[in-house]
Amino acid sequence: MTEREFLIPVGPQHPALKEPENFLFKVEGEYVVDVEPRLGYNHRGIEKAMESRTYIQNLYLIERICGICSNAHQTCYTLNVEEVLGMEIPERAKYIRVFMAELERIHSHLLWLGVAAHEIGFDTLFFYIWRDREVVMDLLEMVSGNRVNYAMPTIGGVRRDIPSDKIPQYKKMLKILEERTKYYKEVAAKEQTILNRTVGVGVLKKADAVRLSATGPNLRSCGVAKDARVDTPYLVYDQIPFNVITYDGGDQLAQILVRVDEVLESVKICEYCLDHLPDGPIREKFSPLGRVPEGEAVNFVEAQRGEDIHYLQSRGGDKPYRYKIRAPTLANIPSLIERLKGGYIADIPIVLAGIDPCFSCTDRMTFIDIEKEKTWEMTGDQLRRYGIEWYNR
Amino acid sequence: MLSLIDEHSRLLDGLSIHLGTENVLDKKIPRERRIFVTVKKEKLKEAMRYLKEKENFIHISTITALDGGEYLEVIYHLTKKDLNLNLKVRTPHDDPTVPSISDIFNGAILYEREIHDLLGIKPEGHPNLKRLELPEDWPEDVHPLLKRWDLESIRKKINGGGE
Repeated sequence: MTEREFLIPVGPQHPALKEPENFLFKVEGEYVVDVEPRLGYNHRGIEKAMESRTYIQNLYLIERICGICSNAHQTCYTLNVEEVLGMEIPERAKYIRVFMAELERIHSHLLWLGVAAHEIGFDTLFFYIWRDREVVMDLLEMVSGNRVNYAMPTIGGVRRDIPSDKIPQYKKMLKILEERTKYYKEVAAKEQTILNRTVGVGVLKKADAVRLSATGPNLRSCGVAKDARVDTPYLVYDQIPFNVITYDGGDQLAQILVRVDEVLESVKICEYCLDHLPDGPIREKFSPLGRVPEGEAVNFVEAQRGEDIHYLQSRGGDKPYRYKIRAPTLANIPSLIERLKGGYIADIPIVLAGIDPCFSCTDRMTFIDIEKEKTWEMTGDQLRRYGIEWYNR
Repeated sequence: MLSLIDEHSRLLDGLSIHLGTENVLDKKIPRERRIFVTVKKEKLKEAMRYLKEKENFIHISTITALDGGEYLEVIYHLTKKDLNLNLKVRTPHDDPTVPSISDIFNGAILYEREIHDLLGIKPEGHPNLKRLELPEDWPEDVHPLLKRWDLESIRKKINGGGE
């Protein structure tokens, strides 16, 4: 380490991350030279806990891995259990699951867009987007009864039906979302405040993204069309027409544009589901004491942050022998580091937020000057303001 | 045109011929877009290189490790368009090592640290095997996903036998 280099630990509590994570930044002046991640502050031992719970108990435990992708994890879990059971679920249930998954994607992407606007100091846009996000939150509540942790998929189907007399109202709400998102797309592509802070910031090269097995919008913003909904189709995604959105450039603007366009695609998928909802039952029977035969299964779900993969091994009985979960954020950490290297300290908040890790607002970080053995601390909000003021100079 | 299943068997045959059939211990195609194949541990890197170079697998989704009773099992989940291949190797409890594949698939670097942390399986040749998920002061020999550790015994170990 040269005399001009400093180490800055950021986290475990950080403004851009809901799961507490620690990043040790090596900086020289205003530039980030290297980053070392330290994970695990939120390791709750869910995989171990699942081995001592029944399949139905696990259904509700797995939903609580993450408040934003709860439906994605639960869908993936039910797909695994149903595959080992050899159970075919009703068509109507598949459509309702897809409908829920896409609503969740809309709410998550809008939330992220608001957060991204906040990170660059554009709080007006943040409030506008979050106001409009309430439309999809209301819609989720009308369909499932909950704003988060919807508990819709269950082993064998879904828990609640979509009443046909509500469909016109749902469609009206989707229309509002579509119109507003189109407006934000225009804002993102033209507004100088956004362009100044995102063009050429936190760039990830296509080759690095592929080499480091990145996933989700993080990968698609580098021009790679990889999407689990198309590559290994599940539920009824192979029957629904939609586009996989990619943008070239790999910077933060490309990440914004990918997500805005994905919201528009999701609205289309939701409308398609409502139009083509087949009649019939919504679930097969699975007893709360149900046993699952020996077997194993791997399933992929395209969660809003990327590919979510679960592995189930059953050795008979009412509890899984081994259940493995890999949520998309872990896959995106190596490429996130690539994005941070060579950038400015002032860009850390937007680049960290860029891969859409979970978000937390109560945070502190310590800056350590190792040469003078001096320590000073900054709250996350101060770092965000530091970034905004740095750009105002 | 070949169906997907035929295409999968062709891939598996190619892999068997390349590694030698005696080195492929088990293979199955449970449904379209899924392959499970078990190879000998010594042939892991060769298999990975073959799959990357000849079959164009570029994405590693994750690595699962599990305590299978008499053995430890490590499963490498590779994906490409229309196919997910799960390559398994086994290793005994008294020699918990596998060759590191993070030089072939760079994306595996954190997943290998994870299996080292949680099951004590050492990927040989990995550049940095620091703790990833467990705290720094966690006891060295406690790997919580092994079946012999349960909540009680871990608690006892951490508290030094007392309450």
